Amino acid sequence: MKVLMKPIEMIAWFTQDGLPTPVRFRMEQPDGSYIVIRVARTITRKEERLAGNPMIIFTCQSIINGIEKLYEIRYELRTCKWYVYKI
Amino acid sequence: METKNRIIFHIDVNSAYLSWEAVYRLQHGDTLDLRTIPSVVGGDVTARRGIVLAKSIPTKPYKIKTGESLFSAKLKCPDLVIVPPRYHLYMQCSKALISILEEYSPSIQQFSIDEVFLDFTNMEVHWGDPIQAAHRIKERIKKELGFTVNIGISNNKLLAKMASDLQKPDKVHTLFPHEIGDKMWPLPVEELFMVGRSTTFKLHKKGIFTIGDLAATDPKLLMQWFKSHGRLIWEFANGIENSPVRQDFPVKGLGNSSTIAFDIEDRKTAHRALLSLTETVAMRLRDIRKSARVLSVYIKDRDFESCSHQRKLDVPTNSTNILYQVACQLFDELWQGQPLRHLGVRTTELYSDDFYQLSFLEADIERQKALDAAVDQIRNQYGWDSIVRSCFLYSRLSPMMGGVIQEEEYPMMSSML
Repeated sequence: MKVLMKPIEMIAWFTQDGLPTPVRFRMEQPDGSYIVIRVARTITRKEERLAGNPMIIFTCQSIINGIEKLYEIRYELRTCKWYVYKI
Repeated sequence: METKNRIIFHIDVNSAYLSWEAVYRLQHGDTLDLRTIPSVVGGDVTARRGIVLAKSIPTKPYKIKTGESLFSAKLKCPDLVIVPPRYHLYMQCSKALISILEEYSPSIQQFSIDEVFLDFTNMEVHWGDPIQAAHRIKERIKKELGFTVNIGISNNKLLAKMASDLQKPDKVHTLFPHEIGDKMWPLPVEELFMVGRSTTFKLHKKGIFTIGDLAATDPKLLMQWFKSHGRLIWEFANGIENSPVRQDFPVKGLGNSSTIAFDIEDRKTAHRALLSLTETVAMRLRDIRKSARVLSVYIKDRDFESCSHQRKLDVPTNSTNILYQVACQLFDELWQGQPLRHLGVRTTELYSDDFYQLSFLEADIERQKALDAAVDQIRNQYGWDSIVRSCFLYSRLSPMMGGVIQEEEYPMMSSML
C-alpha cells in the first residue's frame, strides 16, 4: 500500500448516534478523470487524535478496476473532509 | 498541607511548536518527520518577523538558537527546513494535552502553551507510584497525541520545572530537595528560572557561575545587589518555593507589542501604531475588569537598540483614549527620531475597575466608558475588525496589532510560578 492522503468526494451514512460509514466516493485520477468507488466492506474503524486533531480511520475493501483491494480512508472531524490515506 | 509532602509534576512538551507541526504533517500523509532533520518553525520573513520560534533536536550541532534570525540560521545550516507557524494547531494540541492531564488530577495549572503543572499530591491512591504514573502519562501522550513530553517531579513547582529541563526529550526526571546538590547545583546559573540575561551578567561579574555558587552566597549580599529579586533567586537556588498549583492566575500586568513590516520614521505613523497596540491592550484590560495605574512604552530601532519609558497615572484607567494619549506623550519623550521596527505598550499595577476617582482636571470619563463599552460589544458580537478607526485605512498598519491569536486566549509564558 502507498500513502496518498488524497482528498475525496464522499457519500456516507451516519447512524442516529453519529457514527459514520463510508458508502461511495469519487476520486480524481492523475490524468484528471474521476473514478467512482463503491465501498464493498468496512472492515475496521478506529479513532485517533494525533496533534489533538481527531480523525476516524476506516479500513475498507472494494473492487477497483476488477481487482479486489484493501485501503484506508480517513475522516477529519474538525474539517469534515474525507481522505484516501493508503491504497 | 506541608510543602515537603506535596508531589508536583511539571509537564513540558519537547520542542513544542516543531513537534506539533511534525505530527500534524505526518497525520496528513507527509512521509518526512520534521523532528528527525534540522528544521525550525520560523516567522514570516516578508513581514520581518523572520526569527526562529522553535527548533528540532538535530539542529543542535549547528548551534541554532531560538530567537535568532532565519537568515543567520540558514547560514549556519544551508539545508535547514523552515516551516511557518500555525497557532491554531498549537492551541488545539495544548487543549488535547490538558484534557488528558485532567484525568489524572483535579488540580492543574497551564503555565504556558506547552507547559503544565499538575498537583499529584494524594493521587498515589488512584494511580500508584508517582514516577511510574509519570511514565504512563508520558507514554499515553506519545501514543494518543503523537508528541513527546518531559515530566519533572518534585515537592514544589520550581523544582519540578527545573527537573523537566534536565535532559530531553521524552524523559521523566525527579528533583527532590535531597537531589538538589547532585542534579541542580552543578548547572550554570543562567539555567535557573528567573535568572535572565542581565542578572546572569551581574552574577558572573561577582564570580557566581553555577546555581550551587548562588545557593552558597549570603542572601543579605544578594539583597543588596538585586533587592527583593536577590532573595527570590537565592531561594530558588536552594529549592525553596511553595506557591500552590493555581487555576485562576492573578494578572500582574498586561501588554502588547509588535514588529512592524516596515520602518516607522515619522511621529504620526508611530502614534498610529501605538493606538493600534493600545486598542488591544485596553480591550483586554476591560475584558478582565481591571484598570491600570502604570503605562510603559517600549521601542526597538532598526539597529535593534531598544529602550522604554513609563509613567504612573493619577488615576487607574482602562479607557483606550486616555491610555493612548499617555502612550503618545511617553513616546514623544522617548523617541530621538531613529527609524523603528518594533513598538510595545505595557500596563502594570492593575486595580479592579468597579470604581473610578473623579477629577476636575480630567475629561468626562462616563462618556469615554460608554464609548468603550459600545465598541467592545460590537467587536465581541461581530468580530474584532467589525469596527475600526478610520485613520488605519490605507495606513499599512493593522487596526488592532499584536497578540498571536485574535480570537482565542493564548496562554503566554509568565514570570510568576
